[in-house]
Amino acid sequence: MPAPRGPRQPDGAAESARRRKKLITLTRPWLLLAPSLVVLAGLLLWPLIQVGKLSLQDYKVKFGGGEATFTGFDHYSDLLTSSLLWKTVLPNTVFFAFACVGLTVALGTLVALLLNRLGATWRMICSIAILAAWAMPAVTGTYVWIWLFQPQDGMVSQIAGSVGLIDPETTNWFTERVPFYAIATLNVIHHGFPFVAITVFAGLLTIPKELYEAGELDGANAWQRFWNITVPTIKPVFLVVTILSTIWDFKVFTQVYLQPGGDGSNEEVYNLGVFSYIQAFAKNDYGTGAAAAVLLTVLLLIITVVYIRTLFRQGEEDL
Amino acid sequence: MTTRRTTLASRIGLPAAVVGLLLFTLFPVYWMVSTALDPKASLRGSDVLPSGISFEHFEFVFDKGNFGTYLMNSAIVGLTTIVAAALLSLFAAIAVARFKFRFRTSVLIMILIVQMVPLEALVIPLFIQMRDYDMLNSLLGLSIVYIALSLPFAIWTLRGFVATVPKEVEEAAYIDGASWPRMFWSVLLPLVAPGLVATSIFAFITAWNEFVFAYTFMKGSDKYTAAVGIYQFFGENSTAWGPVMASSTLVTVPVMIFFVIVHRKLGSGLAAGAVKG
Repeated sequence: MPAPRGPRQPDGAAESARRRKKLITLTRPWLLLAPSLVVLAGLLLWPLIQVGKLSLQDYKVKFGGGEATFTGFDHYSDLLTSSLLWKTVLPNTVFFAFACVGLTVALGTLVALLLNRLGATWRMICSIAILAAWAMPAVTGTYVWIWLFQPQDGMVSQIAGSVGLIDPETTNWFTERVPFYAIATLNVIHHGFPFVAITVFAGLLTIPKELYEAGELDGANAWQRFWNITVPTIKPVFLVVTILSTIWDFKVFTQVYLQPGGDGSNEEVYNLGVFSYIQAFAKNDYGTGAAAAVLLTVLLLIITVVYIRTLFRQGEEDL
Repeated sequence: MTTRRTTLASRIGLPAAVVGLLLFTLFPVYWMVSTALDPKASLRGSDVLPSGISFEHFEFVFDKGNFGTYLMNSAIVGLTTIVAAALLSLFAAIAVARFKFRFRTSVLIMILIVQMVPLEALVIPLFIQMRDYDMLNSLLGLSIVYIALSLPFAIWTLRGFVATVPKEVEEAAYIDGASWPRMFWSVLLPLVAPGLVATSIFAFITAWNEFVFAYTFMKGSDKYTAAVGIYQFFGENSTAWGPVMASSTLVTVPVMIFFVIVHRKLGSGLAAGAVKG
């Protein structure tokens, strides 16, 4: 705390009152933040450091605690030289995430534009339907998609069989990676597009109608109006929904883990999250599991840094 | 000419889009509920209508599946999470939206970064920690994890809300002689209430729907949450689809009712969070 300056010394009582006030101003935000920061540090940050440490160790489960041996970067070099990572795990993770993000944002935007053109009644009906899809938990949503695509007696399998597209007796959609992830993508889009649709729709409502009228006078067609008026005006909204979807879709676990074979019994359909989980909890190899978790975290960190930089470069909002 | 094409396109295009949207969003929900009610659930195949209506699968999941306990566990965990997350995030949001202080930007960025931490990275060390402290199988332990998971998004959303309350309103209250706590209760709180509703919904949904932690931490079957409880009816080779869909319905429908009741507040909450964030 800086010493009071100037020749005139205030009297003691006023000085201490001023100091107390200054102390309150300085500490109040931190007092308000303290509980949240403690929880976040203890349950998110500290474990993250632990997982980094764990990835450099061989951890053995012992009764009443664990025993760790330091192994350096062995887990990383094993992981980064395995063909499973490069041929299966990473492609599955990355392609799946980008397919989900692209389709979720595209569909969400289309639905937002649709909502914007509907009358009050139909807009209400569609909003409630969207909310229903959103409210469906990932777990139950996944079970329904599995049930629809269940080999032999699932609805889609039977319909595809009856029109001769597949042989329902022998086709199992879940054994190969492309159909497996196609179903998972459908599931993630169904669950994820409502957030995009409702957020973009809220953004659309803030665009002044005059802009479109001016655009129409200038002879811009619908596509040009969308691309030159809508997109630039609500760019921040698009940025936020895209980055949030990216972060969420790289982390998809439940939807993959619960699908038949997704729990580790089929190596073809591993993604980073499932791989990490299986190594740790099914194979008791916490070190490799932790290394894979660190890899996933680094991937997400890169995306988040891009996110923050874009937000800052935009200069909107003083953060 | 342009206008005529537009009208023609919208006459066919709009209704088709609406029908497509309704089918895509609602069909899985319909399929879940109607399978749950179908006494011959596992033989449904491509029949759009159930073969009959019966509540036997629901009775089964309560009598044989202990699902009442799981729903209760989920409710306890969800309510604990809502109360704690709403309170903590409101304090934090006021701090970052109302006060200028050193490291404010760093704090905000840290909150943003922890939001992207994958659950799979946390589940391993937290499992080891919880086991060492004998906190596995504890509803409180699970709630604490969920509070942490819902905080970052809650703080960012509420921050937008607190920022939209004009400072002048607060200052007017001070001039009228209100103390800070009084101002908080009678001025700030009512104005950010919609944001708190949105935040609480997200905290509740996080806790209600979460699978990975509950599945990993809760090994005593009387401590399962509902989302994990469904898993027991799900077999690799033969799945009892009736009970699976009945328990799925029990997990889903409360959330849907909740969403529909508060959806207006939810929309504005998200918009404020997204536009301001």
